[in-house]
Amino acid sequence: MGGAKTNLVLWKNGKRIDGRGKEDLRPVKITVGVLAKADGSCYLEWGGNKVMAAVYGPRECFPRHEQDPYKARLRYRYNMAPFSVDDRKRPGPDRRSTEISKVSREALEKIVFLEYFPKTSIDVYVEVLQADAGTRCAALSAASVALADAGVPMKDLIASCAAGKVDKEIVVDLNKAEDNFGSADLPIGISPRTGEIYLMQMDGQLSRQEFDEAFSLAFKGCMQIYEKQKKALKDKFEKMTATEIGDLNGTD
Amino acid sequence: MEQTDLIWQVKKDALRRQITEGKRIDGRKFDEYRKIELIPNFVPNAEGSCLVKLGKTQVLAGVKMSVMEPYPDQQDSGVISTNAELGPLASPEFYAGPPDEDSIETARVVDRGLRESKMIDLEKLCITPKEKVWSVMIDLHILDHDGNLIDAASLAATKALLNAYIPKYEDEKVVLGTKDKKLPVKDKPVSSTFAKIAGRNVLDPILEETKIMDSRMTFVTMENGYLCAGQKGGTGPYTKKEMDEMFDVALVEGKKMRKLL
Amino acid sequence: MEKTEKMIVIPGEEVQGPISDYVYTEKGKNYSMVYGLLYKGGEKSRIVPMKGRYLPNAEDYIVGIITEVKHGGYTVDINSPYSAYLMSRREYNFGDVVFAKVADVNEVKSVLLSYDKKLFEGDVIEISPTKVPRVIGKKNSMVDMLQEKTGCEIYVGRNGRIWLKGKNPTKAEEAIVMIEKEAHTDGLTERITKFLGD
Repeated sequence: MGGAKTNLVLWKNGKRIDGRGKEDLRPVKITVGVLAKADGSCYLEWGGNKVMAAVYGPRECFPRHEQDPYKARLRYRYNMAPFSVDDRKRPGPDRRSTEISKVSREALEKIVFLEYFPKTSIDVYVEVLQADAGTRCAALSAASVALADAGVPMKDLIASCAAGKVDKEIVVDLNKAEDNFGSADLPIGISPRTGEIYLMQMDGQLSRQEFDEAFSLAFKGCMQIYEKQKKALKDKFEKMTATEIGDLNGTD
Repeated sequence: MEQTDLIWQVKKDALRRQITEGKRIDGRKFDEYRKIELIPNFVPNAEGSCLVKLGKTQVLAGVKMSVMEPYPDQQDSGVISTNAELGPLASPEFYAGPPDEDSIETARVVDRGLRESKMIDLEKLCITPKEKVWSVMIDLHILDHDGNLIDAASLAATKALLNAYIPKYEDEKVVLGTKDKKLPVKDKPVSSTFAKIAGRNVLDPILEETKIMDSRMTFVTMENGYLCAGQKGGTGPYTKKEMDEMFDVALVEGKKMRKLL
Repeated sequence: MEKTEKMIVIPGEEVQGPISDYVYTEKGKNYSMVYGLLYKGGEKSRIVPMKGRYLPNAEDYIVGIITEVKHGGYTVDINSPYSAYLMSRREYNFGDVVFAKVADVNEVKSVLLSYDKKLFEGDVIEISPTKVPRVIGKKNSMVDMLQEKTGCEIYVGRNGRIWLKGKNPTKAEEAIVMIEKEAHTDGLTERITKFLGD
C-alpha cells in the first residue's frame, strides 16, 4: 500500500479522480477464446489493465514426480511483462508474483473438479501485459473464464475484485493513483453462486467497520464482474452462430 | 514410506472427528494460543533480535541495519524488508535452496503487518534526504516447525524491532557493534492465524492441524484494533460470518499477546 | 435435435430437469459443471460441453496413433491426457493409425485397447470430442451421408479423431469442420446436405 503523500486531489464533489463514484467499477471488457494454441483462453481489459489468460490441459503432467495419482495438478503462473509497468520490471518471477500465483492457485483448487483427471496437470498462465492496479483480480477473473473456455469442469466461476480506502473513504476498484496514495487495499475472490470467499488479502489500515464496508463493496464488485464473465461466455456462442452461418452462404 | 502415509490417513480422520467434537489434539480451546516464550536479544551481534517459542515452534528473528540510497519515489524514507528461511533443520519436509512459495508467503505476510501498521516511522530513518537512509532488514530463521510459522515469526520480528538499536553513523560509515539510539517504533502489531478444519476455525494451529486443515486465515491487528494485514491461505472457502468471528477472536487474543511484548 | 430447446450454460449455473452428465448436485439442485449447451427434452435433458478433452470409456471406438513399440504391445496416443496400451498380434510401427475399441479403463486411468484394425494411408483430422456425436448423427445418418456423397471410407473415433480415405476426402473434411463449428445450431443437416451437393 502506498500511503504516500500527494498533492493529487483524490476526491472532489463526491467523485473520484477519474470521475467515478464509490461503488463504480472501471470499464471491463472480456473476450473469450483468443489464443489458437491454448485449450482455453481469455483476454480481459479492466481500466488500463490488459491481461491474457491461457489454460493448457488437462494434459499429461510433467515433471512426472509432480503427478498426483488421485487428481489433476493445478498450476497457476501470474507474470508481469517487463513493459507492463512504468519502471521496467525485470523479467521472471519475483516474490510478489510468487505469492500472487500461490493464492490464486489456492482460490481455484477447490472450484475445479480435479478428481476427474488424475495424473494430469491443468496449467493456467496469466500474463499482465499492461498494469493499472488490481492486476491480481483481473488475472484471476480472466483465468476463470479461460478455464471454462477450455472445458475444464468447475463448480462455479471465480469472480475477483478489490476495494480500498482513499482519503478516509471506502471505495471499490482502486485505480493506479488510488492504489499508490490510498491507505488500504482488500482484494477478494468469490464463488458467485454461493458467495463463499476463495481469495482474500488485505494490507493497509482498516477499522472493523471500514473492513466490513470494504468487504461489502468488493463483494458487490465481484458480482458485477461475474455478470460480465457470464455475458462474455454466452456471447461468444451467439457470435459463433451468427457469423458462421453468414459466412457459409458465401461459400459453395 | 507407504506405511507412514497409511498411518497418517487413519490419524487424519480421527483428528477431524475430534475437532467436530470440540477437542483439539493438544487439549487447547479453539481460541487459545500455545505457551509462548520470548527471549529478546538472543543474538547480540544483530541490531535487534528475538527468539520466540510458540509451543514447540521456534523462530528466531534478527534485525540488521545498513545505510543505502533511498528509493526514487520515497526519497526521505528509510526502507524495511523481510525475508524468511524455512530451512532443512526445521522440519523433515524442508529442503535447502532458494525460498519456496511458503517461505515467500510467510515473509510477505509478516512484512505487511510490520509495514502497514507503520510500526517504524520510516521518515525518522532518513539520514540525508535523497542520499542516505537507514535500511532495516528483518530475517526470520525458522528453527523448528510445529505449526503456525506466521504468528511465531510475526511475534519474533515485532519484539526484535521493539528492542532494536540504530548503530552510530560516522564519517559516511556505519560503526558496527555500536548503539546510537533506539529504533523509533510505535504500535505493536500482532498476528493471529486460524486453521479451518471440518468447518471449525482453530487459533494457532499445531503442525498436525496444519496438515489436515482445509484453509488458513491470518489477521494482523494493531493496538487501536485496526486490521493492518490479512491473508487467506489454503484452498477451502470462508463465509463472511466466519471471517467476522475470527476477527473478533484475533482482537481479544491479540490484545493478550500484545502484553507479552 | 433441430427443434429441441437449447440454452448455453456455464459452470455453476442451475439446470432443471433430469440430467446425469456434466452436472453436480448440491442440496437437491443440479448445477452445470461445464461451459456448454443444454438441450432440454421432456424426459431427458443433456449438456454437451463446448470443448473438452477426451476421457476414455470402455466400449468407445477410437482412432489412435502408435507412439511406442514395446515388448508384447504398443503404446497408443488416443488424443487424451491418458495414453493407451494395445496388445495385438498385428504388427505396427511408430506413426501407424489404428481403429480400436477401449476394452478397459481402470481407477488409475490405465487404458487397454482391443479389436484393433490398422488403417492404411488416408487422412486423419481432429475435432473436439464433444462434437463427435453430431458427426455420427442419429443412427449414423450424418456419417453415412458424408461417406456416400464424398465417396470416402470414414472412421469416426469417439476421441475426436477421424480417419478418411477415398474419392473426395477434402470435401468430407470441410463438411466435418463445419459440423464441428455449428454443432449447436438449427438447420445444420440441411446446410451440410446442400454443401455436399450432388
